[in-house]
Amino acid sequence: MAKRARQIVIDKELLHLTQEERHRRWAARVEAVIFASSEPVTRKVLERVVGEDCDIDAIIEEIREALGGRPYELVEVAGGWQHRTRPEFADVIHASGAANAPPAELTDHQALVLMTIGYFQPVTRAEISKIFGREVSRDTIATLRQLGFLASGPRSPTPGAPYTYITTPAFLTAFGFDTLRDLPDTEMLEDAGLLSRTLPVDDFVEPELEDDED
Amino acid sequence: MAGGALYPLDQIVRAEPDWAGAWRQRLALKCASAAVRLAGRSEDEAGLRDAWLLRKPGDDPGPAGQILSAWKRLGSRSTALDAEALQVTAGMLGIKWDEPLATLAQTFDDLGLSGSAAPFAAAAIIRETHTIRPDAEALGWWLADLLLAQKLRWPVPVPLLMSQRFSSVFRADGGRGRIRPGEEGFDRAICLALVHAATEAGRLAAEIARRAERLTFVTPKLRAKGAEDGLRLLLTEDAVSGSLQTPNLSRFASRRLFERLQQLEAVRELSGRPTFRIYGL
Repeated sequence: MAKRARQIVIDKELLHLTQEERHRRWAARVEAVIFASSEPVTRKVLERVVGEDCDIDAIIEEIREALGGRPYELVEVAGGWQHRTRPEFADVIHASGAANAPPAELTDHQALVLMTIGYFQPVTRAEISKIFGREVSRDTIATLRQLGFLASGPRSPTPGAPYTYITTPAFLTAFGFDTLRDLPDTEMLEDAGLLSRTLPVDDFVEPELEDDED
Repeated sequence: MAGGALYPLDQIVRAEPDWAGAWRQRLALKCASAAVRLAGRSEDEAGLRDAWLLRKPGDDPGPAGQILSAWKRLGSRSTALDAEALQVTAGMLGIKWDEPLATLAQTFDDLGLSGSAAPFAAAAIIRETHTIRPDAEALGWWLADLLLAQKLRWPVPVPLLMSQRFSSVFRADGGRGRIRPGEEGFDRAICLALVHAATEAGRLAAEIARRAERLTFVTPKLRAKGAEDGLRLLLTEDAVSGSLQTPNLSRFASRRLFERLQQLEAVRELSGRPTFRIYGL
């Protein structure tokens, strides 16, 4: 996108128009760009299509107000803005079957593995298996990787030097978090005894690796 | 008082000895481990080192490693600041970026130009950050060290204050918890913290200087080709992976090189593991 933006020259400043007209055009551009993008649009991207003295925040605010009664809204997510349907329509949309693959179709198990990595990253597959108490297959990890939710982190200093896994910005976007701190409160979970940051001790015997699981 | 404690550091920074890189980077590691704790994570210094060194160059070191990279950058950049650098740092520290935070760049410049003494300016920027967004506190500490360096006209900042975030100087009188930014006595606590941090940094400098001297002393005894690569990294980095690979040095050669250096007592093995060894001054 960045490359194409550099090639096409557009009139950003719109100096031949009145102040009011300019603002209206800019507002339209901002909305169009955000609408067309499948990912959150950052301020930087928006600055490529509007003039120097354009107040992006005011425009965002206007768009939000204009969408007041609509079933979708403009939300701030992962450092940018994105059009989203309002959460209360989730059930309706699911029932319709029209867009039943919101970020991706994750099985419960995959989602659980993903959230575990979110909390414990960087973490190796063996460590995840320890947390689950049973082998987490390579396939599960590979699927999550292919969906772009995971990336390789540093290698773990354990025999075999396995890679650790970490979550990507795409993970944050898909689940509507801004930063990892937005993950449902860790301290609260810890206090409730549902989560412990320390990995289980090494009493878990590595199971025989199965060839094909899932 | 804080001025007196800073004098020895000032001497070191002005002299810019060849081991200054290793010194700054090790201070950065200490600060990063406090910042990691502030972010509610459990990695310690050894864990951070592992995350940093055991990844492929260019790979993401994970959230804690990102925090470390913010502090490493502090110890290797100039003292100038713009909104973009601020945003990048916030990203590394895992702090959500929003517009009010961008005003910090302006506050930073204003404080830099104002006549207030370095420690008070540092306290002011932390307070300001905490006022805007309590969860962005780590960014305030990062800015404080940058501001301190600017005030003292150091070419490159020295990561200091953050390492004291959990020390006893911020303990309120009568066991009433901790002094938070903006509360009474914070300025005084920052001055004390600076004295502690400067003393610790001075002690560390003396230790690293001694080891660097030893390293220079044994250098003529080394016969490995490409040994300079390893030696240079030892002087500019906190730690070096035992299987360092450079165009002149294979990982087997560097393994032998570090083992030899360890025999000559010029480097220490920092991880305490028999495998995945990490060496440093």
